[in-house]
This record gives sequence, C-alpha cells and structure tokens, in this order.
Amino acid sequence: MALLRVEKMSHEFGGLRAVNNYSLEIEKGQIRGLIGPNGAGKTTIFNLITGIYKPTEGEIYLEGKKITGLPPNQIASHGLGRTFQNMQLWRHMSVLEHVKMARYSRITYGLFGAFFGTAKRQREEEEIEEMAYSLLKMVGIAHLAGQIILNLPYGAQRRVEIARALATEPKVLFLDEPTAGMNPEELIQMMEIVRKVHKNLGLAIFLIEHRLKVVMELCEIIQTLNFGQVIAEGTPEEIQNDPKVIDAYLGKGTVI
Amino acid sequence: MNEEYGKIIGITHSIKRKARSLFSEVPLLGWLFGMLIAVILERYVGEALAESLGLSKIPMLFGVVMMLKNPLMIPSTVLYLFTIFVLPISVVARLISGPANRVAAKLLDLPILISVIIHIGLLYAVLYLWSEASAYRVLTLKLTLIAVILTLSLNVVNGYMGEFSCSHPGFMALGAYAASVFTVVLFVDDKLFGHALLPAALAPFMFPIALIIGGIVAAFGALVIAIPSFRTRGDYLAIISLAFMFIVKSMIENLEVVGGPRGLSSQPDLASLPTVFIWTVACIWVTNNFVRSTMGKALNAVRDDEVAANAMTVNTRRTKITAFLFAAFWAGVAGGLFAHVLRYVNPGTFGLQKLAEVLAMVYFGGLNSVYGSIVGGVSLSMLGEALRPLEIFKWIIIPLLLILIMIYRPTGLVAFKEFNVGKLVMPKNKSDQRKSDGAASG
Amino acid sequence: MTFFFQNLINALQWGSFYALIALGYSMVYGILMLFNFAHGDIFMVGAYIGFGVATGVTALASFGAIVLPKWLILVLTIIISMFLTSFVGMLVERLGYRPLREAPRASAAITGLMIGIILETGNLALLGAQRVRFPTLIKSETYNISGVFVTNKKIMIVVVSLMLMLALHQFVRRTKWGMAMRAMAFDFVVVPLMGVPINTIAAMTFAIGSALAAAAGILFGVAYPVLDPYMGIVFGWKAFVAAILGGRGSILGATLAGFLLGFLEIFVAMIFPSTLRDLIAYSIILLILTFRPHGFFGEPYSARLRL
Repeated sequence: MALLRVEKMSHEFGGLRAVNNYSLEIEKGQIRGLIGPNGAGKTTIFNLITGIYKPTEGEIYLEGKKITGLPPNQIASHGLGRTFQNMQLWRHMSVLEHVKMARYSRITYGLFGAFFGTAKRQREEEEIEEMAYSLLKMVGIAHLAGQIILNLPYGAQRRVEIARALATEPKVLFLDEPTAGMNPEELIQMMEIVRKVHKNLGLAIFLIEHRLKVVMELCEIIQTLNFGQVIAEGTPEEIQNDPKVIDAYLGKGTVI
Repeated sequence: MNEEYGKIIGITHSIKRKARSLFSEVPLLGWLFGMLIAVILERYVGEALAESLGLSKIPMLFGVVMMLKNPLMIPSTVLYLFTIFVLPISVVARLISGPANRVAAKLLDLPILISVIIHIGLLYAVLYLWSEASAYRVLTLKLTLIAVILTLSLNVVNGYMGEFSCSHPGFMALGAYAASVFTVVLFVDDKLFGHALLPAALAPFMFPIALIIGGIVAAFGALVIAIPSFRTRGDYLAIISLAFMFIVKSMIENLEVVGGPRGLSSQPDLASLPTVFIWTVACIWVTNNFVRSTMGKALNAVRDDEVAANAMTVNTRRTKITAFLFAAFWAGVAGGLFAHVLRYVNPGTFGLQKLAEVLAMVYFGGLNSVYGSIVGGVSLSMLGEALRPLEIFKWIIIPLLLILIMIYRPTGLVAFKEFNVGKLVMPKNKSDQRKSDGAASG
Repeated sequence: MTFFFQNLINALQWGSFYALIALGYSMVYGILMLFNFAHGDIFMVGAYIGFGVATGVTALASFGAIVLPKWLILVLTIIISMFLTSFVGMLVERLGYRPLREAPRASAAITGLMIGIILETGNLALLGAQRVRFPTLIKSETYNISGVFVTNKKIMIVVVSLMLMLALHQFVRRTKWGMAMRAMAFDFVVVPLMGVPINTIAAMTFAIGSALAAAAGILFGVAYPVLDPYMGIVFGWKAFVAAILGGRGSILGATLAGFLLGFLEIFVAMIFPSTLRDLIAYSIILLILTFRPHGFFGEPYSARLRL
C-alpha cells in the first residue's frame, strides 16, 4: 500500500480548473519530483494535499486513512510536513522557536501547564528543545539557534524551514522549490541536506523544483505538470527524453 | 567650536560609561534594598526635610504637581527628591552590591521560586511604605497596578497575537459589575439587593471568588466576539469588538437592577493594596508563563504567518480563541478590582475614553512584551496623575508624547523583549553569576 | 404609516451624517489600509470651521460689504469649509501617518487616536468650554405632506449629501486620480512601483475624506446648531463601524452602511425605548458581521497587521 495516495483530485478556482484529475502514489522512503512550467499548478497541488485548499473532487489517503478536507493543522499532525516556496517564516521568532513551534500538536502539558509552569511543562519543553537542536544540527544551523529569523542569510532561512517541517515528524516531506534563489554553492549544500535528511530519517520526499538538475539528481520518479494536468510520469531518463515534456517545459525545438 | 562640542560629548559619554560601570554590578536585590532605605528615610525625615526646604508637604508624586503649580518650588523639590530618593538609592545600592550579589547567588541555590518571592516581598515593602504617606498615593498605586493588568492582558491580543481588539472596556465592565453584584448581594445591606446574605467577616475570603466570577463572565462575553470574528482573519475583530463594547455599555445602562446609568455603588472595601498587588503579580506571572511557553508562542506564529502556523500543526483557531478569552478574563478581574477600589462604577466609565487610555498604554509601553506593559501601564497612569495640574493641556502633552514614541519607536518603548524572571533575580557580578549558573536557567 | 414616514425622513437625515463621515473612513481604509481614528474629530473641526466661515461671511454681509442671500452664504460656507478642512486632513496625514508608513498599522491607528484627542483638546483650549451656536442660515420651513412633516432643512441635508456622494463616485470612476486610488486599493504594494506617487494619493485621500467630513459637520450644524469639541467622538466611532460594515474601500458600501446605521438607530428608538438604541442597533450589526464577515461589498482577503 502506498504511503500517500491521491486519487483523481481536481480543483476549480471560480470556474477555472487549476488542477485536473491529478493522481499520485508515494511509497515509503521514495523521493518524487514534480516539475512543470510556471503556473502549471504545482504549488496548488501542494496546497490541496496539505489542506490549505479543499479539492473540489478526489480523495487523499495517508497510510490508508482518508485526510481529504481535514484542516491543515490536522493533516500536518498526521504526517505531512511542508516548506513554502516563498519561505513563510515568523519574522519575530528565533530559529529555535521556529523548530519548537512545529511540535505544537505533540504538546501534552495543556493550558494548565502553559499558565502555571508545571514541572511537566518544564520537562516537555526541555525535550522539545533537545529535539529541535538535533534537527538544527542535522541541517547545519545549530549555531544560529538563538537568532531572530530576520537577521539570517537567505540560505539559512531555507534550512530553518526544512528543520521546522521535520519537527512535525512527517512521514512525507513536501519541499516547495527548496533551492529557489540560491547560488550554485548553496544549491549543492541544499541538495546535500535533502539527501542527508532522507537517509537519516527514512522519509518520503515530494519535491517541486524549477531546476532540472536538482530533480534529475535527487528523484526516483518525476511527474510533469502542464495546465493542471500530468502529462508525463517516469524516471529521470524517461522524462528527459519525453517529447511532450520537452515541448511543454522547455518550449518546442529545445534539446537538453 | 566643534572641537569643544566634541569634547563635551566625549565627557558626557565617559560620565555615562562610568555611571554605568559603577552600577553595572548592582543586582535587583540591591536596588530594591536601596529603595527600601529611601522610603524608610522619607517616612521618618521626609516631613521635616520638606518643611525645612519650604515645601508645604512632602511631594506626593515625585513633586511634579508642586513644580507645575509653583515653578519657584522647583529647586527645593528637586533637592528633596535628590536627598530622599536619588542619593540614598544609588549610594545604598552601590555600597551593598557586593553582599547583595552574594545573597542573590545564595538564594539561587534554593528553588528559584524562593528568590522570586523574596524579591516580590521586598518590592511590596517598598510600595507599601511609599504609599503609606497618604491615601492619595495608595489610590494612585492601586489604579496603576490595575492599569498594568489591563495593559498586559490587552497586549496578549493586540501585541502577541497581532489583532486589534477594542472591547477591553467592555470586558472590564462585565467583570466590574459581575464582581460587584456578587459582593454587594452577599455582604452589603443594599437598597437594590436587600440584606446581606453572609456575614461581612467572610468577605475578604470570598473576594477572590468574586474576581474570578468577574473574569469568567468577561470571558463568556469574549466568546460572543470570538466565535464570529476568528473564522476569518482581518480587521473585523476591530469593529466586532467595538460594537460589542457599545452593546455592553448600553446593556448595563438599561439594567435597572444594577442601577442603570446611575451606576452601582457601596461595594465593600475589599480591594486593599496587598490584594491588588497580589492579583497584579499573579497576572504578570501567569501571562508571562503563557507567552513564554510553546503554546503561547503559537500566538506569535499566528500573527506572523497564520498559514505557516497551520501547516506546522498549530491549531490556530483554538490558539486565537484561547488568547482572546484569556485576555478577557484578566480584563474582567481588573474590572472587579477597579470597582472595589473606587467602590462605585457606572457604565460611562467603560467607554471610548477608557479604550483610548488602554490602547495608549499598550502601544506606549511596547507590543509583545511583559516589560512593555508594565512600563506602559505604570508610566502613563503615573503621568496622567502627575500632569493633573495642567488640566486640559495634559491631554495635549500625553498624546503628543505618544505620537513621538510611535514615530520613533513604532512598536513602543520596550517591545519584543522577553521577561525572564530567572535573569532578573540573578546576581550581576561575574564571579557570583558563575556560581549560580544553571540554577537560574528557569 | 405617517409615523413611519416621519421617521424615515429623520433616518435619512441621520444616515446622511454617518454616510458622509463613513466615506472618509472607508477611503482611507480601502486605499491605505489604515484606521484613521482622527476622522471623527476632523468632522468636529469641519463643523467648527464651518461655524467660523458662516459667522465671518454673515458678518461681512451684515456690514454691507457684500450683499448675499442666505442660501448663498450656506453654499459658500460649505465650499470654503470643505476646502479649508481638507488641509487639516492633509496635515494629519503628513504629521501623523506619513512618518509611520513603514510602521505596524496599529501604531498608525494609535497615532490617529492621539491626533484626535489633540484636536479635541486644542479646540477646548482655544475656544473654551462653552458650546457655540451655529448661525441660522436657513429659515426653517415645515411642509405638511399628508400628515408627514418635512422641513426644508432635512430635504437640503439629504440632497446635499447625496450630491456629494455622487460627485465622489464620479471622481473615483472618471478621473485619473480616482483610477489611481482604485488601483492602490487593489494592490498597495505594486501601484507605487508603477509611477503612481503614493504620497500624493495618500494626501488626496485624506483631503477628500476630510472635505466630506466637513460637509457633514456643517450639515449637522444646520440641523443641530449646538457644537461642542467632543461631538466627533461618538459620530466618528459609529461611522467607523459603518465604513467597515460597508466592505473594504467600497464607496457604495460605506454609503449604504451609513444610512443603514441611521435607520437602525432611528427605528430602534421608534419601536423600543430610546435607551435601548445602541444595544439593539449594535447587536444587529454584530449579527450581520457574523454572517457577512467581510461587510456588504468587501471581498475575502487576508490582511495582516504589519507588525
């Protein structure tokens, strides 16, 4: 059984079909890619699966459990962690607080603990903090833990997003263009991090990317999207040689 | 010319630096002790000193009233303040900084709670002795403490959560009336509510219950706003809460049972200084606990990016409603205290003017900050009292001040600063700090 | 039935005041995303300026310097006062809001609130505590239309208000500046990049809003000739409610909501004891907002307080 299964999902924005009949199956530990030209509906698919939008048609199952239509926070606590294309970080919070925040749904000390600072809360907050540090170490920014997010360089902010998403203990990690706006050096580091996270935590990863180099190197299976519809699905080699992909994605007559 | 100017700047800088280094090792304990000495000094020699300086009485609120009324009195008032407050506090604080640091370090070997309680006790002693000089000081102090509760609770919504709520006076009114009705019915022979049901001796013990009832009633009121306004995010809370405030005020005006527009009086005298002080400390403690926990930080996450908060498993709706009810509860408690301090309330008190006042305190002091709320509540209520002799010009000076603050520090004086009690009670010199390291991490 | 129509006339008049003030709120809110809490007090300032102008012009006329019919004096008063008050609005924008353009929006709202207090107190300090009487510019005439009493003042107030609203509508629809304003309301971030000077638009928004508030102030003075420095507070906050009830930046919405508020207040007072006016009127508004959280014509949007 697939870890995450999307069945014939469609979505309409005021009569406009942004996503049409989209299906997906991700196995445990798999890295999948989603590519396509601007406006093809890639981020919409992310938002649909993670519950920010509700699909007009279709069902989504995580580990066989239906999660269609649940609010985003519940979907996230069921095991879908994500990052955002334009980095939606909390501008007044520190790096460590970002990662700790993603543990919200696992907190058990409750409001009583929050108001009166019980010993249980103390213990739990310490545990969360320890975990947050280990995640920050994994993405290589443990030394920045106390910094306010605004003071961080761009690359580090991207890493915070990944650490934050990991703190939700996802079974599938959704990365929305993790290398957008990065220079070649940062790009290589980011790919390193994705590989490391994949290896250390054994996650399934679903990746939107603009740069073909990244998807081709990281992903086992790639879907190509155009006008909200999957036009090709296959291994990097297959995708690279698919004429439909070349047409849609690179324009007619281009050769990779 | 320029050179000279530079030299002067240099000198003032070095003086500043020296002054800072002179006092940098004074722990909070030392300052509190210094203040204690100062207020004791005032108690015993204040009157004599005031007389010999030609002042009619000891300056009540740091002499601002006297200085404004009669500018000729400025030198002697300043001299008085210097000899009674500035000099003793700085000298004592400096002199005992060594032992004070050692004591502070020793205290941290015990559970931190003990150290905190000792500090709070000292603070109370200072305030008590200071306020003993006159009933006016007591009243001002009580109202100031209540203002701190109000400011802090509104800061939870407007600062930590980043919404714009206008209904605080409404919550305060609900709390004030609920608590008043409770105590008046139970403990006072009143023409509105008939004979007292319980002996008056029980009243002080039941007063916390009255306040909590006030808080809960206010929180229920908040639920009326929270349910419609937190489905979507936007500015609608601002007017829904404003409409709510009008509704509460109008409702009370129409309730003849509680006196209608004439108000409700004869509350028993239960809000003594220690009571108000304890409730203020409780409010600061609980609020600070809340906003520093990950659950409380969720407020900031909702404020800064709600979509991201949601995607990171934060139940944003619950978070918002909790914070709103929390704030309303404390506003209700503050209202209950307010009613029992003045022993009279009328619906007119809880109108637009109160709203402007509370908003001003929150934004003056600083958003997202417990320190800020304390600073805002204390300074604006003290300033409001101190500038009273200016009459209406007070209402030009205070708004101007606030506008300047907004222009130069748009989020308020001490915004986004964490109130870390552990750090606050720590010894301030290196050696003692190291000894108590670890103990103060809480 | 006559009773109903009688109150309808009153409600129209009362709603005109709310609608005119709400328009100023709504424009500032729609275009600049700011709460201009000083707006109610600009209404008050407008009424006082109107008082000054009217008194001045009347005095000139009575000295025989100029010969003017009363209605012309009123028209002149409205025009001159609108012009003068628009400068007050621009001044408020320049001193209180422009320095805070990058600050959290709530801070700007607080600044507005404080400017309002300064305007009230300043007025009190200048003119003293006694209330001033607005000069009588129109001789009151009452017409009896099958039992419903209509005064010429009420008709004038409603007609002038509607004309001003129509003029505003045309301005926003037809002129270059109006288009720039609408564009700004649509996208605050991008428009300044496209060569539309934000400072000019902001100043203009405040100027127009203030001019309308001044007109409301004078019309109010005509109907209820006693002015006092705090008259703007309650009007201002209630018009604020109307502005947002109308939907973000919607001129039609603010107008309708202003009239609705007037109707609610008058008709509630007609049916129930007048002390229940606020209670019932605002409960109805609370209900409306519960089911239409974006107001009449507002679109769903996710505004974030820039904190």
